[in-house]
Amino acid sequence: MRALVILCTICFVIQACQQGDEKPMRLSSWVSSPSETAVYREVLDGFRQKYPEQEFEYEPIPGNYPEKIQLMLGTRTAPDLFYLKGFTAPAYMDYDVLEPLDPFMSETEDFDVDDFFPFSIEAFRQNGQQYGIPKDFNPYVMFYNKEMFREAGIDSLPTDWLSFVQACERLTIDKDEDGKTDQYGFIVEPSVEMVMPFVYQNGGNFQNPDGSLGIADEPFIEALEFYHGLYTSGVATMAQDQGAQWNGDAFGREKCAMAISGGWLIPFLADQFPELDYGIFPLPRGKEQSTVAFTVAYSIPKASEHKKDAWQLLDYLVGEEGMSQWTSSGVAMPTRRSVAEKNGFYEHPVFKVFMESAEFARPFQVEYSERGYEELVVAFQAVFFADKAPRDALTDIKGQIEKYKLVR
Amino acid sequence: MKAKKISASKKQQTKTAYSFLAFPLLVFSVFTIFPMLFAFVISFYDWNLLIPDKPFVGLANYVELAHDPVFLKAIKNTTVYTLGVVPTQTFLALFLAFIMNQKIRGRAFFRLAFYTPAITSSVVTSIIFVWIYSGPGLLNYLLSLIGVEGDDWLFNPKTALFAIMILNIWTTSGYFMISFLAGLQSIPQSLYEAAKIDGANQWQQFWRVTVPMVRPITFFVIVLGLIGCFQVFDQIYVMSSGGPVNSTTTMSYFTYQSSFKYFRLGYGAASAIVLAAIIFVATWLQKKYFPSEVN
Amino acid sequence: MRRLKIQKLFFYLILFGMTIIYLGPFLFSVSISFNADKDVLTWPIKLIPEEWTLAHYQSVWRDLPFGQWLVNSVLITSIQTVSNVFFSALAGFAFARLRFPGKNIIFSMLLASLMIPGIILLVPKFIVLNEFRLINTYGGLILPGLVSVVNIFLMKQFFETIPKDLEEAALIDGCSYFRIFWQIFLPVSKPALAAVAIYTFQGSWNEFMWPVIVSVTNDMFTLPVGMAFLKNEFSVQWPLLMAGTILISLPTIAIFLIFQRYFVQGVASAGLKE
Repeated sequence: MRALVILCTICFVIQACQQGDEKPMRLSSWVSSPSETAVYREVLDGFRQKYPEQEFEYEPIPGNYPEKIQLMLGTRTAPDLFYLKGFTAPAYMDYDVLEPLDPFMSETEDFDVDDFFPFSIEAFRQNGQQYGIPKDFNPYVMFYNKEMFREAGIDSLPTDWLSFVQACERLTIDKDEDGKTDQYGFIVEPSVEMVMPFVYQNGGNFQNPDGSLGIADEPFIEALEFYHGLYTSGVATMAQDQGAQWNGDAFGREKCAMAISGGWLIPFLADQFPELDYGIFPLPRGKEQSTVAFTVAYSIPKASEHKKDAWQLLDYLVGEEGMSQWTSSGVAMPTRRSVAEKNGFYEHPVFKVFMESAEFARPFQVEYSERGYEELVVAFQAVFFADKAPRDALTDIKGQIEKYKLVR
Repeated sequence: MKAKKISASKKQQTKTAYSFLAFPLLVFSVFTIFPMLFAFVISFYDWNLLIPDKPFVGLANYVELAHDPVFLKAIKNTTVYTLGVVPTQTFLALFLAFIMNQKIRGRAFFRLAFYTPAITSSVVTSIIFVWIYSGPGLLNYLLSLIGVEGDDWLFNPKTALFAIMILNIWTTSGYFMISFLAGLQSIPQSLYEAAKIDGANQWQQFWRVTVPMVRPITFFVIVLGLIGCFQVFDQIYVMSSGGPVNSTTTMSYFTYQSSFKYFRLGYGAASAIVLAAIIFVATWLQKKYFPSEVN
Repeated sequence: MRRLKIQKLFFYLILFGMTIIYLGPFLFSVSISFNADKDVLTWPIKLIPEEWTLAHYQSVWRDLPFGQWLVNSVLITSIQTVSNVFFSALAGFAFARLRFPGKNIIFSMLLASLMIPGIILLVPKFIVLNEFRLINTYGGLILPGLVSVVNIFLMKQFFETIPKDLEEAALIDGCSYFRIFWQIFLPVSKPALAAVAIYTFQGSWNEFMWPVIVSVTNDMFTLPVGMAFLKNEFSVQWPLLMAGTILISLPTIAIFLIFQRYFVQGVASAGLKE
């Protein structure tokens, strides 16, 4: 009896071990909304039709994606092809866990690397090696509620910080006059990505070109003071103040007239708030015109046992067919010039705002470890939730973050 | 005759005993003994799963911990948490047990009521309390009835830790109530009779008879409470992820973050060892200054 | 007499007040889970739904991998429970009834291990399982919880209360120790075995820290890990979240109701042993 139980346990364990071995190639992405996943599955069906003999499993990863992928890379359970965020790319390229793709690129005849926007290619390049092929990009743009703009009598869209603040003020309304604001001009969020466009517009940087930390420099501090000021002066709200899930949700529920977001808000609004009449315009300019662009690539882990197959899938997904289909919903912009031109992204009333923004957008990449980034998030929380002055919060944290610079 | 028979099987006994113990001891060695020793080894290395070479760094992880403001904050938070939760939950558990030990109708129902939070998954109770504490949640609704306006309790660095402490007290007091209840039932009724004759009311009976009689159980409840509170993790993970402004980062959450978010397993192991040392000292202090038996 | 009555009234007031505090949050979460109103969060909140619906429960089953998580949780919990009952009884028997060299050393080592805070084992256990490639497998989720020292201790305590006569008679008849254990000890140990089973069930069903680290992909999540993940993904979809929380709490409450006698005995003996 006892022997039997032990035997069963051992068999069971062995089986569990072997599970991983004979699997076909695996592909993983993050999950942001059901509508986005649906589009993605269609793209994958396209690949299946073209290469019916090629087997693969699609395993979307919900939850904290970078954390999970890192864990999978460290435990040799990583998928053979996965999304790599531009932001986390430097650390991963440093760790040497990604397969260099240059041999594959040169072997594939019609692979034209010059067709990609240079900023997107460079985000995944280190020491002359390409570690990821950018699949799409997304600049932050401003979404606005047309109805609210009409009611407030605003007929020209804000173009700089001053006109933006004025618009926010006019759009902040206490409808039932009970002393509580029912509609805000704007919505803020104490996250680094959201503040960065304002920092860039003000001539600041997380990491200066010479590699030093820029968070306690004057332009950065001023930008945070401006952004935080929108909230303290009562013309902007925060998602949790409204019981909303995220900024886009609050915008959809018409709690605020303007919200900064990337293209992912478009399918979300179409799905959840189809009635909403909204428009899009480039972020207002500060000292200079700028915004943050996020770019995402496909990467193959060094430990993969299906590298060749993974490249075939990658090549299809970033190829003309795959990229055209994926970007057609507006969830993200194509990283290939040819795809953007062919599908009329430069003429489209909504997409052209994204393409225009791409002209002055900057990627957000830093050579600091996750912990350093997290320290800055905490400093922002101190500003927004504990009323700490932006200047103090940033100067106090500077020394701490400097410790987390990645060393080569 | 009998004795001879049994002693004859001594070899047999040894064989049987070790075969009975084989599997438990195997699991125990692989998942407790070895990891415990291994933890010390790891803590001397810069151990990142993504980097193949793992350099020996000596005490560097411990030195860094001593200068890490987040870790120091975590020690402070954990101490505040434990000092707040343990006495309150212990007293509340005893109080509940005292109530339950009275002659009341529907005792089984009340026992279930007080015990439900304790047997429910910590994730479940945490989610429910996130709703209660949220901006448009139950707590603010109740406060609005008496004309007080509250904000989102978990997003305020001043209240977040306190809010989670209350949740913890709520869940564990029912659990320890059962421990106390068993103890109360073994107190001879004659002691209460004697106290009644002396004219003691229920409250006085509670302090003069009940409290001293359950001292051994109180010791046990406090030790378990200390160990549990020092290692609080689930509630933090679900409710606040250590935020805002690290106001709810506890030591075990710090260990988790360092190890599995920032992937510095050596640093994480070192922080866990510091936590273990603190727990040892705390239980030792308790044993010294509040022994289970009065000498 | 009158004073006594007031005292009694006061007492019941406290009792009911406490009951509301302890049960109230659950009742509200039940209420929210049935609320058909999409804006359940609009102020002022409605504590009792104006319109009732089962849609959120359906949605939990249909739109989320709840079924898969349930299978995982049931599998892990049942294997760990069976294993704990069997092996802690075996080991308990050995410690309570057999004399063998090294007994005291081994037993005090086990006892001392109760003092090791679990957090210290987290990282090394993870690295060990990673070496065996058991991260994100059932093996990794189940193996570390197959036996627990507390249960061995409980069984040892219980077996020591069983009179020696039975066993000695059987020994004279030439029974093996395993038969004595299996045919004589186990049948009379039902209350203790039940206590071990219930504890292990509760502990393993509700376990969070280990599965949250070992399960990486969502097809390996257990119910609590899945719920924690849903809380982050659907942060304000309270009706859906509450429906999930109610569903995963039902088994523990049911088990408590059915076996509460053993439960209380178990806690009592666990408390007294220290």
